[in-house]
Amino acid sequence: MTQAQELTAEILAPPVAPAGPSDRQAIRQRLLDEVPALVEDLAVGDQMVVTLPLLRQADRDPESLAAPEEPFAWKPVFVRRSLGLAAIDACLQHRFSTPGEAVGPIADQAVVEWSRTGWRTFHWEPWMVGLSAAARSAALAEAATWATALWSSIDWRPFGRSIRLGGPDDQWVCPAARTVRLKGRCEARVALVTAGGDGISDQTQSTTLVSVASGIPASGWEAELGFLALVASLRSPTRPVPARVVGVWPDAGEHRSVDVTAATLAAAGDRVIACITAVMEARLTTVS
Amino acid sequence: MVVTDVEREDPKLRLADRVPAASPPNLAPGWTPLAGDALLDRLRVTGRPRPLADPERVARLRETIEAGLGDGSVGCVGGDGRPRVPGSPKPLVITKDRLTRALDRESRLGADLSGAQPPTLPMAGGALIDALFRQLVTTGSIGDPMRDAMDALVLDDRQGDLVAWIDNLSVTERGALTAEVDRQSIDLVNRWPSLDPSWLPRTQVPMRVGLAGGSIELSGRVDLAIGRPGLAVASVAIVEVKSGARRLEHRMDLHFYALLETLRSPAPPFAVATYYTRTGELDVEPVSDDLLASAARRTLAGIGAVCRPTGETVVSGPASRRPGKRNRIAADDSDRKGLVGNTVGRGQ
Repeated sequence: MTQAQELTAEILAPPVAPAGPSDRQAIRQRLLDEVPALVEDLAVGDQMVVTLPLLRQADRDPESLAAPEEPFAWKPVFVRRSLGLAAIDACLQHRFSTPGEAVGPIADQAVVEWSRTGWRTFHWEPWMVGLSAAARSAALAEAATWATALWSSIDWRPFGRSIRLGGPDDQWVCPAARTVRLKGRCEARVALVTAGGDGISDQTQSTTLVSVASGIPASGWEAELGFLALVASLRSPTRPVPARVVGVWPDAGEHRSVDVTAATLAAAGDRVIACITAVMEARLTTVS
Repeated sequence: MVVTDVEREDPKLRLADRVPAASPPNLAPGWTPLAGDALLDRLRVTGRPRPLADPERVARLRETIEAGLGDGSVGCVGGDGRPRVPGSPKPLVITKDRLTRALDRESRLGADLSGAQPPTLPMAGGALIDALFRQLVTTGSIGDPMRDAMDALVLDDRQGDLVAWIDNLSVTERGALTAEVDRQSIDLVNRWPSLDPSWLPRTQVPMRVGLAGGSIELSGRVDLAIGRPGLAVASVAIVEVKSGARRLEHRMDLHFYALLETLRSPAPPFAVATYYTRTGELDVEPVSDDLLASAARRTLAGIGAVCRPTGETVVSGPASRRPGKRNRIAADDSDRKGLVGNTVGRGQ
């Protein structure tokens, strides 16, 4: 079995004692109880958005939270994920054989579509259209390298139509005078399909979320992967709690996974609370 | 064994702090650079059997480094027995440049282990040629070389200081730099083969390996990798592009990259190569167990040299020219919060 096949088997493995609705309700209630008090010193109307990168930043480099936010400007590293995932998706649909072949035509198509209709599939179209050919090639190269690493890390054949790449972020808003929004972004969602009660039909019980990160897995990776499951499960009370989150670190050739249990959600909740606390301390330090 | 497309190698060749001369020195009479398919064949056919994936090899290489770290001989070992820079919770990031500087403190590269190197013309030429090489591999063409390369560098956070430095060059210096970049890029376009997409060519490939429970992080970024990784037989070749003259440490850099690829993949790369855009020389080295073992020992020695107190400031964390801390942390999963990148200052 190759490394890619191992990873695929891990993604598709049957759920192990997944968390249920009561676990979801428990962690939801805990966040509702604790979060509003943590952010009550925020300015009225201000809000906080907790993402996985922020969770990592608060844990590994809390001093940097006090640094002023850099103004956003598009650059190739910001484009690579969306363009790269679209390239892989095109390969899965047999439109191209490799992500490297796909990124150029997909970017071209997106720009043409935006020029024609004003519709932004990826948001970066106006930026891309203003680039010189060389700068555009740098953006394409970044996406091709990112996508090729992911493309090579997974055996995609067994997924069939059960995999969905990209898609909108999961979000959950903690209702309070000062809004705290949790945003979870994963690179793929894989439906775990099992035989239905009649033994014939298929039944989708839950999902595996796949998260791709740069660098190497650092301590605390379990709770960080769990954060994605937490947000996905809070987002909708009717959808099943994800059964598993698989993290892929292509730079390091590593993957890890967590089966989502009540303890996983609780640990992720701890990290969210710790993150909000650290961000508040940094903001208040900056203000004072 | 080094397979070269010229018959001699002069490790004493050193680049002065100037743009390389237009006429490459010391090339054998009548020698012509490889181009197109011949260049590709030299890269692909090493004359050696390709190594197989071997978990024991990986374990041995890790053991070489981690056991060496564990016996305390490298210094700066924390209370948990792991190497650690006092007062810093961050991993010690080891790059090829940091290794070389640590092992050769008397070298002209200086003794600053933080990786902060003042820009030079050769450094600028190297970064510009790297950008053009990436463009050529990605799109198959180069327009106005200097303008194209600068357009690409401007988008790279790691190169902000270098871009500003180039912008402030005198007309004469910039003219010389432009002339050399033009010359090398023309040769590059004429010689470098197009790569079949099925080989999965990828540029500026980041490689990271955590050691000793994450207290050490080996880090690299290779100019080009081809071949499908993760197979049972070595299928990846790594190519570094150099715009300056041959130097001995270029081979050591490649060995370090071979070690990283081996530690992060089931199989090692089957070959590592340096392509010299100034001359068209291609040095290809098949990857063997001896090469990897030697690279592991050198890496251990380098970590020790980085850690040993010398009166210099040893910093943990990345050896970055521009830290870009917020972006680095926020890198992982977001288009809008992306990785600023690896920390290796690119040289000639």
